[in-house]
Amino acid sequence: MTVATNAWFTKYFTDYTYDEMFTPDLSVKEDWQELLENFKRIGIDGLTQRQNDINWLLEENGVTYNVYNDPNGLNRPWNLNVVPFILQSEEWRQIEKGLKQRAHLLDLVLKDIYGERRLIKEGIVPHEVIYGHRGFLRQCDKINYKIDKHLLLYAADLARGSDGRMWVVNDRSQAPSGMGYALENRATANRVLADVFADMNIKRLSEFFKEFNEFLLEVSPEKIENPNIVILTPGSHNETYFEHAYLASFLGYPLVQGNDLVVRDGFLFMKSLKGLKRVHVVLRRVDDVFTDPLELREDSHLGVAGLLDVVRRQNVAVVNPIGSGVLENPGLIPFMPAICKFFLNEQLQLPQIASWWCGQEKEKKYVLENLSNLVVKPIDRTNREHIHFGSLMSEQELENLKKEIIKKPYHFVAQERISFSTTPNYSKGTFEPRNMVARTFTMAGKNGYNVMPGGLVRVAPERGKLRVSNQRGGTSKDFWIIGDSKNEERQNYSWNRRTAVSVSGLDDLPSLTAENLYWAGRYVGRTLVNARFLRMVLKQMNAPDTVANQQACSVKMNVLYKAVTQMTGTYPGFMDKDKAGNFAIDNPLKEIIAVVLDKNKQGSLANTMMMFSNSYYSIRNLWSSDMWRVFENIQKLWRSLENEKDVTVNKMIKTLNQLITRLIAFMGLIEESIMVEQGLLLYFIGLQLEQSMLTITKCRSLLVIKQSGQTEYEVLESLLSSHESLNIYRYSYRSFIRVEPVISLLLMDLKYPRSLTFLLGRLQKDIARLPHSKKSDTLMQYEKNVFEAFSSLRLANSEELAVVGGENTLIREDLDTLLEKLSDLLFETSQSISNTYFNHTYKQSQLVDQNFPL
Amino acid sequence: MLYSVTHTTKYDYDAPVSYCHNIAVLKPRRSLGQELLEYKMVVSPEADEVSERVDFFGNYITRFSIQKEHRQLKVTTKSRLRREYEQFKTDFRSDKCVKITLEQAKNSLLKTDVEILEAKQFVLESIFIKRASAAVETYARQSFKPNRSVFEAAEELMQRIYTDFDFVSGFTSVSTPIDEVMEERKGVCQDFAQIAIACIRSIGLPARYISGYIETLPPPGQEKLVGADASHAWFSIFIPGFGWVDFDPTNNQIPGDQHLVVGWGRDYYDVPPLKGVVYGSGKSKLAVEVDIARVI
Repeated sequence: MTVATNAWFTKYFTDYTYDEMFTPDLSVKEDWQELLENFKRIGIDGLTQRQNDINWLLEENGVTYNVYNDPNGLNRPWNLNVVPFILQSEEWRQIEKGLKQRAHLLDLVLKDIYGERRLIKEGIVPHEVIYGHRGFLRQCDKINYKIDKHLLLYAADLARGSDGRMWVVNDRSQAPSGMGYALENRATANRVLADVFADMNIKRLSEFFKEFNEFLLEVSPEKIENPNIVILTPGSHNETYFEHAYLASFLGYPLVQGNDLVVRDGFLFMKSLKGLKRVHVVLRRVDDVFTDPLELREDSHLGVAGLLDVVRRQNVAVVNPIGSGVLENPGLIPFMPAICKFFLNEQLQLPQIASWWCGQEKEKKYVLENLSNLVVKPIDRTNREHIHFGSLMSEQELENLKKEIIKKPYHFVAQERISFSTTPNYSKGTFEPRNMVARTFTMAGKNGYNVMPGGLVRVAPERGKLRVSNQRGGTSKDFWIIGDSKNEERQNYSWNRRTAVSVSGLDDLPSLTAENLYWAGRYVGRTLVNARFLRMVLKQMNAPDTVANQQACSVKMNVLYKAVTQMTGTYPGFMDKDKAGNFAIDNPLKEIIAVVLDKNKQGSLANTMMMFSNSYYSIRNLWSSDMWRVFENIQKLWRSLENEKDVTVNKMIKTLNQLITRLIAFMGLIEESIMVEQGLLLYFIGLQLEQSMLTITKCRSLLVIKQSGQTEYEVLESLLSSHESLNIYRYSYRSFIRVEPVISLLLMDLKYPRSLTFLLGRLQKDIARLPHSKKSDTLMQYEKNVFEAFSSLRLANSEELAVVGGENTLIREDLDTLLEKLSDLLFETSQSISNTYFNHTYKQSQLVDQNFPL
Repeated sequence: MLYSVTHTTKYDYDAPVSYCHNIAVLKPRRSLGQELLEYKMVVSPEADEVSERVDFFGNYITRFSIQKEHRQLKVTTKSRLRREYEQFKTDFRSDKCVKITLEQAKNSLLKTDVEILEAKQFVLESIFIKRASAAVETYARQSFKPNRSVFEAAEELMQRIYTDFDFVSGFTSVSTPIDEVMEERKGVCQDFAQIAIACIRSIGLPARYISGYIETLPPPGQEKLVGADASHAWFSIFIPGFGWVDFDPTNNQIPGDQHLVVGWGRDYYDVPPLKGVVYGSGKSKLAVEVDIARVI
């Protein structure tokens, strides 16, 4: 070891533990030595810089992990440490062999459990280990599959045991997470550390993912050119949603939710804009019991009713098969050596964590006597809250646990408290040893199982902490296996995709995605128009004459305040007294602040922003990273205003200015990042419709009632300014602002992109491109509505619209009637579009109400 | 005895249902002393597809879906059954059954032959019958003693449930927890069956839930049996060394020819007569009619 690197590690060890970087005689392992040499070149400052780069890149790309009940809210940034984890290739070869054997063995166990059950009949595995496990789904008994392997994806958590070897501590077999994060970690490390490890010949992940893609095509029950593959996610609130979206866009398959799919006539279909489209393969990230509310958990809204029956008929392949959760079973661990002998007549190659199943007298006795040194888990709940660490429990807690075990012994397994090995972690300028766990991924292939050369390494959040889990917060590491040959292919992820979204077009767009895009368009439109309007009102509030002379301006300000309420729909607002009997007009600033910042006030800008974010999160697989960056910027900007202690008019104006600029940048990016066929059309339709509707509301609030001379002038000027049309008006009319030309410009101009007629003309063209519009010569309802709205405007005359109804009134009745009619027509248009294209939202209910955990 | 059973289940919806998927456990299974001669199921509106399979426990499961809009779902089944069960009842009172004590029974359960292994899964907790509370176990222990005959204890348990619990319909639903039924001491046949099962499992013996019918016409001069005109449920206990013995705690009797078996499982969850997932936005109203006629 060189002096420099040596110095980095002088304070590294506090007590003796096994550390991954060192050999037992405390010299640095060969591959690690090379890494340290490389780190030395960039130095401590360089490392800090690289770590910052990684953090920045992950945040920029929106790599997140949702932690339930996290005060930081959803979408906590993912952590990746600059120091990778390296496993010597010799050791890896042994592990790889062991993983293949274990995957093969668990596949046989899975087939046996849902088949002949020889393991039980011949006394190899006690029946309670299977029958007493919630994951054993009797509904899946005796299902036949077209592919000979049943366990298709398998993940194992490895940790170093007391004998210095890597042990299996957990088996994951339902919908293992982490593959996408491993891939993202590598991509990030590649970008930030390319120069550091360029000469290190790290094994690439691309081959594994290429095979993974081929494997998904392979498992299709029908041998056709382009089987339809979907990735089923529980939704954007799931802890690993980022990964679902990432894999979907990396592999090029649609990301769907249970609502997007439907079972008809024994087949599985995806609801798309055009209609139903057959699905052949489902890569699912939904747990077993939630996949089918008909046969499994009745109260699940994450699955598809009837899916299991389609599986039984061999008309769809689900990866992994439903029911495979029974293998996530520490109760099996003590019996694995016997199972291995029974099926393969071999020794188990990978050691496992020592485990005692309490269903046996002798084992139970041992566990009860040594409880404080053991870790106790139920056989069927292997994560988080359900694990009892004996050493951390009080006398009373231990007593209670004992009672639990005695009452239902077969339900518990005790495991050795394993002294995890540590691995160097770079933190605040020093290296610290952190406990680690590595998740490895194995996948069925044509010849046996393939193992990802690497995986996901997670380390404890603090030095000295044993628990390692993303759910509790923590850091991950890139996982390196050093290859033999110096010249491995540098192939990129550009394999020939037989299936891709781009070939399928608008007709096949999942209707839930379509709906999210439509609402994204509507919310972004609403945010922009309302932000501009509020900014204009705030500026007027701050104008010298408003401040100086409250009375003189009150008529104009009154009109504007009321318009704020009407535009945002935040009633009663300035229109009436509130429940407590107070008039908002007495303290307009307070109400305006609420309209801008109160998230819980329906229609407020903050509320609209929230809806806007939600609809964008749900379709994030369509985003480019630039979009993500701007989006994050918008969020940050907004948070800073929310956290502001003393909100003033000026501060709000400043924030709105920035918000508007960024929104426009964001909208520009959307238009160039998503293709019309991918659903951009729906976004445009939503956007035009929203802008049209708000233009109508704005004009109704500000133009229908005639004001006296100076006030009318000021209101018209405010209207034009909030519509960003003041310059255009001056350029086009070069006159004093009058109501007729304003009506002409904002409502009837055929060429001005901000006029209502222009917006409706464009809307008319866009909706004509929707799948059902093309069907026949008869117009769809939504087409009729927009056509009627457009024609009504074209037939109107601005001079007539500006006329006040009679002598005793100040109301422009013709204008009011027209705008009311347009408003109704557009509302109906929105409903008609929803009913035609987004009707997947039928409420799902049970014939007989039953709510219980499986 | 030859029976003809007509079972109609009707759901009226107050808003249109666009489609639905359903599962029915209505076709009577093969069981000791009972044979299914004819069976027909009619779904209205007509189902778009129907499939049948045999489940883990050997019950017939019928799955169907309706893909057109409807406001009413009507499922009618007609079965013709031969039931000759009385002959086996004398066996229950014979020494080879009655002599088996709880202690002997529990020892036999340690064996690993196929019949024992098969039965033992019915000792474990199930979806509706979770690990028994102390109240359930105490209740059970009053009848079950180590040196006492299992059969006698089970018969007494049946009698006690019959006496201690009130038959009150509408008080419980399918998802009312066992402990609540135990506390309130009232419910319907399926609650009584599940209470008995929870008791038997709490002392470590296998017990299963039986779903079926009971004949409505009482012999002259006798009281009309409770549970008539609807589906019925009772329990069965496994006496190691002898076999399964049925008891009906709702009527305080060992089932005979008048009890017709449809299916069995660990509890109600495994054999609900009809369940499903419905897509629509209304509420539903249920009406069930069962008609049992003696053919010969």
